[in-house]
Amino acid sequence: MSAVTVAKKDFEDAVRSRKLMLLTAVFALFTLGGAYLAAEFGELFGEELGDGAQSTIELVLALQTSAGFLVPIIALVVGYKAIAGERESGSLKFLLGLPHTRRDVVVGKILGRSAVVAVSILIGFGVGFVGLLAFVGSVSIVDYLLFTLVTILFGVVYVCLGVGVSSLTKSTSRAAIGAFGIILFFWFLWSTLVQVALYLVEGEFFMEEFPEWYISLLSISPDAAYGSAIGAVFSDSSFTMADAYQYDVGELPLVAEPWFGFVILALWALLPLAIGLWAFGRADL
Amino acid sequence: MTAIDISSVTKRYGSETALEGLDLTVHSGDIYGFLGPNGAGKSTTINLILDFIRPTAGEVSVFGLDATEDTLEIRERTGILPEGVETYNRLTGRKHVEFAIESKDADDDPDELLERVGIADAADKKAGGYSKGMTQRLMLATALVGEPDLLILDEPSTGLDPNGARQMREIIREENRRGATVFFSSHVLGQVEAVCDRVGILRDGRLIAEDTVEGLRETMPTQTRLRVQLDRIPDDAEGALEAVRSIDGVSEVQADGPSLLVTCEDSAKTTVLHTVEEYGVTVEDFTTDSSSLEDLFVAYTEGDADARGVAP
Repeated sequence: MSAVTVAKKDFEDAVRSRKLMLLTAVFALFTLGGAYLAAEFGELFGEELGDGAQSTIELVLALQTSAGFLVPIIALVVGYKAIAGERESGSLKFLLGLPHTRRDVVVGKILGRSAVVAVSILIGFGVGFVGLLAFVGSVSIVDYLLFTLVTILFGVVYVCLGVGVSSLTKSTSRAAIGAFGIILFFWFLWSTLVQVALYLVEGEFFMEEFPEWYISLLSISPDAAYGSAIGAVFSDSSFTMADAYQYDVGELPLVAEPWFGFVILALWALLPLAIGLWAFGRADL
Repeated sequence: MTAIDISSVTKRYGSETALEGLDLTVHSGDIYGFLGPNGAGKSTTINLILDFIRPTAGEVSVFGLDATEDTLEIRERTGILPEGVETYNRLTGRKHVEFAIESKDADDDPDELLERVGIADAADKKAGGYSKGMTQRLMLATALVGEPDLLILDEPSTGLDPNGARQMREIIREENRRGATVFFSSHVLGQVEAVCDRVGILRDGRLIAEDTVEGLRETMPTQTRLRVQLDRIPDDAEGALEAVRSIDGVSEVQADGPSLLVTCEDSAKTTVLHTVEEYGVTVEDFTTDSSSLEDLFVAYTEGDADARGVAP
């Protein structure tokens, strides 16, 4: 229960951050904009397809774009200082001076900061929801909630990555570089490396039909897993990597299966948590 | 009963040795003053006791429990004021104390504790706006939560004005009367002298002396500076000076008109006065200043301590 005590205090502290408020406002603006665009395009598609259900998916697709790049940023900004910042300032000595183990602190931080990110996402999507009601008129609440939940899960994964990095160092600037590195790695480097691997193996960058391992590797990043997970929830493949590469859904590799997105997300949450617990547990503060 | 036991502890950072084979024992119920100049290794020692860092070699135990393995159990019975501790800027003072109470599963009244350390009026202000002294007081309040069996205070008077430092000593005494063992460090001797049962002096990562304040005074060679005011300069001034110099136990004599400054052992004082009077002058007045513990501390921590033969 000690971790929960830490989490509660940490939430109260971190939720008062100005940076978080600013980022949440930006996020809300983006979802609002996304909702507007989705409404415009949704109508377009809706007319084309004459299908109401499909338009909800289109809305989600539009919101996913802004969530896909803002949620990682919010989560990392919320997370990267969680432990390194306290080590640097000295407040960690207050925290650990009380009956909390180092594990309690890491787990508590992840819980607390996850709650903070969840609040930020709820506010952002709350605004988006109001926007959708205004621009579109009707939204499937269940779909929207499911989408919100998966996005919160996605946020939690990035909180774990951020807190994981934060537990490796006592310098916030190094933690910041680490957090920035994570973004760089997953957003640009990962696909580039996979692309290079493709060239090295197959001798070309573009193929009629991409090999299984290529789609699998591309599906492994948390961001791709977020798309897969949404695809699984809505039973719609248009969010997945496989879809982006027009892969034949019938013979999808396991890793690229939409439901497997949840497994990948869980791994991306647990891996940094484990590394963080191990490193922080044996560190000289 | 032993509250803290440090045995042959060495702590190295890379090639730098912070502590070398340190042995230190704090008995239950004691107020133990941990003295030493800045950089001697006091905070390193305290951080080892608190498990903020781990020893390179040796063992640290608190209440007979292993400092690294049984941290939680130790924490539940210990109140801590670490060096360089910071507050959560965005939370109020009361929130900090409430958090400590919740963490320790205690039932203290936060306002009562804040009152006790003298910052009750700032309870609802965010701790980020606190002065260094107020931060120190707030941290002390959180250390007092749950009537701990052991208080570990690293340089508790940091940032406090003389009045604050006095209150801090008063609280240390109160806690000790209640039954708590107190272990606190300082580089200012005056704070230790007044309250401690035992004193340990650390220098360059080694404990160079450990005793009661009186005990330390006794091991100090008792040199006295005697200032003698005469009614006039004796006729045989040279002879008088020579006579005083030749007294057993006198190490230095300086004449300054009709006054003498004599450095001698305590026991030689009367002989000095009698000898001077034999030269036909009257002693109008004399003063002595015996070595203060401050001199003692300086003597221990500066220069070559081993040459003094006091290293235990």
